[in-house]
Amino acid sequence: MHEDLNWAIGGEAGDGIDSTGKIFAQALSRAGRHVFTSKDFASRIRGGYTAYKVRTSVEKVESVVDRLDILIALTQRTVEENMDELQEGSVIIYDGERTTMQDLEIPDGMIGLDVPLKSLAEDAGGAIMANVVALGVACKVAQFPIENLAESLEKRFGSKGSSIVENNKEAARLGQKYVEDNYDHDFGFKLETTDNDYVLLNGDEAIGMGALAAGCRFYAGYPITPATNVMEYLTGRIERYGGTVIQAEDELSAINIALGAARAGARSMTATSGPGIDLMTETFGLVATTETPLVIVDVMRSGPSTGMPTKQEQGDLNQLLYGGHGEIPRFVLAPTTVADCFHKTVEAFNLAEKYQIPVYVASDLALAVTEQTFAPEEFAMDEIEIERGNVVDADDIEAYQNEKGQFQPHLATDDGISPRTFPGTSGGVHMTTGLEHDALGRRTEDTEVRLEQVHKRDRKVETAQDRETWTYTEYGDADADTLVLSWGSNEGAIREALSFLDDEGIAVRFLSCSYMFPRADLTEEIEAAENVIVVECNANGQFANLIERDTLTRVERINKYNGVRFKADELATEIKDVLATGTEVTA
Amino acid sequence: MSSDVRFTDFKSDKQPTWCPGCGDFGTMNGMMKALAETGNDPDNTFLVAGIGCSGKIGTYMRSYALHGVHGRALPVGVGVKAANPELEVMVAGGDGDGYSIGVGHFIHAVRRNMDMTYVVMDNRIYGLTKGQFSPTSREDFETSTSPDGPQQSPVNPLALALAAGGSFIAQSFSSDAQRHAEIVQQAVEHDGFGFVNVYSPCVTFNDVDTYDYFRDSLVDLGEDDDFDPTDYDQATEVILDNDKEYQGVIYKDEESVPYNESHGLTENLSEIPSSPPEDAMDLVREFY
Repeated sequence: MHEDLNWAIGGEAGDGIDSTGKIFAQALSRAGRHVFTSKDFASRIRGGYTAYKVRTSVEKVESVVDRLDILIALTQRTVEENMDELQEGSVIIYDGERTTMQDLEIPDGMIGLDVPLKSLAEDAGGAIMANVVALGVACKVAQFPIENLAESLEKRFGSKGSSIVENNKEAARLGQKYVEDNYDHDFGFKLETTDNDYVLLNGDEAIGMGALAAGCRFYAGYPITPATNVMEYLTGRIERYGGTVIQAEDELSAINIALGAARAGARSMTATSGPGIDLMTETFGLVATTETPLVIVDVMRSGPSTGMPTKQEQGDLNQLLYGGHGEIPRFVLAPTTVADCFHKTVEAFNLAEKYQIPVYVASDLALAVTEQTFAPEEFAMDEIEIERGNVVDADDIEAYQNEKGQFQPHLATDDGISPRTFPGTSGGVHMTTGLEHDALGRRTEDTEVRLEQVHKRDRKVETAQDRETWTYTEYGDADADTLVLSWGSNEGAIREALSFLDDEGIAVRFLSCSYMFPRADLTEEIEAAENVIVVECNANGQFANLIERDTLTRVERINKYNGVRFKADELATEIKDVLATGTEVTA
Repeated sequence: MSSDVRFTDFKSDKQPTWCPGCGDFGTMNGMMKALAETGNDPDNTFLVAGIGCSGKIGTYMRSYALHGVHGRALPVGVGVKAANPELEVMVAGGDGDGYSIGVGHFIHAVRRNMDMTYVVMDNRIYGLTKGQFSPTSREDFETSTSPDGPQQSPVNPLALALAAGGSFIAQSFSSDAQRHAEIVQQAVEHDGFGFVNVYSPCVTFNDVDTYDYFRDSLVDLGEDDDFDPTDYDQATEVILDNDKEYQGVIYKDEESVPYNESHGLTENLSEIPSSPPEDAMDLVREFY
C-alpha cells in the first residue's frame, strides 16, 4: 500500500472538473490529510481535455508524481492522456452508459469500475450531480469516510439551500452503495483521517492574502491566465479594509493606475503574466526612476508570445532581471511554495516602501494552480510588521526642504533612500518625472546631477544588500558532494526527489533560491561541491547562466520546458542520469 | 483648502521653455486660475502630465505632480484619485499624447468617469519632435512626414468622448483667456470626468491652425442662448459639425455618477496601520 494516494478527475472543459476536484481536495483537507493538487487544462471554455489531480497523504506532500491510483474518467481521452501515469492496480471509474465511453477498454492489470453515474445522479435528483456520484465511488474505493465528503459538499453548496446539499449527499451515497453492491473488494487503499486542521489554498490566493496582510489597499490589473485569481481573490475582500480593485483596459493602463495609487501613498500592486509583463515593462522604468514603491507580480506561463497560456514555465527570469531600456534598479523575489507566495508578497511590500523601488514577485503557473494544505500557523499574521520606510509627515517636512522651502523627493542621501511624502501633506509639494531629474524631481541634463542620481539609485540597492538577508533555504545533506540549485516553484519536487535519492543512498545538498536579485553569492557552496546541477523550468537555463556568471564556473543543468512542471520521481531519475553521465566523463 | 489661494500659487519658479507665443502659456494660466477659483491649493492638487511640449506643464506649475510615460497620463490620474479622493486631480497632455498613443486610455477614462479633469492642449501638430502630423491634423496638412498631407481623417476627440459616454465635454481656446479659464473651471467643478479640448496653437510648426484662424472661426456656444449643453441631441449636432470650430461647454450630463462615488471610494488609502488587520486570521480561516 502506498503512503500517498494519487487521484484525478478528467473530462472536457465545461464538465465541472475543477469544482469536483476541489470538493474532493477540500474533503481530504478537512479530514486532516495533506493535499497537493495540480491541473491539466487548456485555454478554452468548453471541450478539449482538462483534469484536476490530487495527491494526498497524512504526511506533508509538496509535489506531484508520475503515478495515478484512482482516475475518474468522464471521457475516453482522459484515459489516453494519462496512460503514462496509470499502472497496474490503478482504478478507472467511468460511466459505461455514456455513449462516448462505450468503447473504453481498460488496459491490462488495471481495474475498471463501470458505474452508471448519470442514472444514479438522476435517482438522487438530477443528472448534474454525476460527478458527485463519482466522488462517492472514489471515497468507497479509497476507503475514505464519506462523512468528510458531506462536509465539503455543505461548504460548496450551502449557499444554494439545504435541499441541494442533501441531494448531493444522496448522490455521493448512491455512488458509494453502487460499489458496495457490485464491486465489493479491497482495492488496497485506506485513507486515514487525523485531527489536524489545515487550510487549502493556491499560490494566487496566497499572494492576494499576503497583499491584504501587508496593508495593500489598491490593486489594478487586467485579466490574464494564470494571474487572474489574484484579482478575483482581492475583489470583494480588499473593500473590507477600505481598499479597491480596478480592472484596467490593458496592462499598460493597469501598471500606470497602480503607479498613480502608489504616488498617492497607497500600498499598491498589480499582477499579470508574461505578455502583460511585456506591456508593463514600458512603465517599469518610470516606476523605478520616480522611486515609487510598487509590487508587480508575474505569474509566469509558457512563452514566448502567447505561448502555452495554461502551461508551466519559468521563462521570464531574464525579463524580470533585465527588462526595460536603460539601467533600472529593482528587486526580484521568487516564492518557492504556495505558502511562500504569501510571505514573499508581504516582504515585497516592505522592501518596495523601504527602498522606494519596484519589486517583482516571480510566481508561476505551477504555484498558481496548486491547491496545497498548510497549518494555519504558517500564515502567522501577528508576526507581520508593516515597514513603510522614510515617510515624512508635515511636522518633519522642513528638514527635507531646500533653502527655498521646496521638498526634495530625490535627495541624494548617504544610504540612497530619499524622504517620501504623500500628496496632501502641507509643505511637501513636489513633482517627479521619468526624465532624469534633480533632487527636486525636475528635469535635468546636468552631468553632475545625472551622476548623483544614478549613484543614489544604485546606492539604495547596495544599502538593501547590506541591511537585508538575501539567502537561500538549504535542504538535504550539507556535506554531500552533489549540489542541486534551483529557484522558485521547483522546491517541493526537488525535496521529494531528494528523499527518493536518499532511499537509494545518494546524498544531495539542495539550495532553494527565492531571492533572484539581489541574490546570495554561491561561490563557496559551488566550490565545495563536486557536481553542481541547476534545475529549472525553461530551455535556456536562465538561472544556470546567472550562476555560471556569478561564480565563474560551469554547472550541469536539468531543464524542463514541455509545459509540465517537474515531478518528484522523474526528477530523481534525471539527477541520477546527470550524476552517471558525469562519472562516465571523468572515467 | 484655504480661501486665500491665488492662481500664482500654482506657478513654479521654473521659467517655461515653450516657444514665445505658444498656446500652452494661456492654457496653463487658465488651468491655474480654475484651480484657484475652485478653492484648491497646491498641497491638495495632483497634476499628471503626458509627454510632449504640453507635458512640460508639470514642471511649470506648482503642485504634487508626476510627468509620466507617453500616452499614459490618464491611468496615473485614475490611480491617484482612487487612492485618495480628497485630492484634486488634473491631467494634462497634448493631442499626440491623448488621441494617438493614449487614445485607448482616453476612451476608457471617459467611460470610467472618475472625478477628475483632463485638459488636452490640441495644436494639431507634433511640436517637440519638430513638426510631424498629429491625429488632429487636417487631411491635407503638409509636414515632414506627410509631404502631401496625412490623407486620413483627423480624429474628432469630442465625438470620441461623446461615443464613450462622456459626462462633460468642452472645448476652449487658449488665447481667449477668460472663457478658457471659465470652461476649465466648470470641468473641475463637474462631478465626474471633465474633459476640455483646448485649441492651443503651435506658432512654430503649424501655420494653418493659427491664432488668427481660431479667432476668425470660433463660435462661442456661451453666447448662444438657445444652446443647452444638457441636451444630448444639440451637443451631438455641434460635435459632429465638421465645418465650424466651437468653444464652450458642449455637453454635460448632470445625472452621471462618478466612478469614485459608484464604487464607494472615500478613504485616503495611504493611511494604514503598522500591522495586519486584527481579523486577518479570518482570511486564513476562510480556506478551511
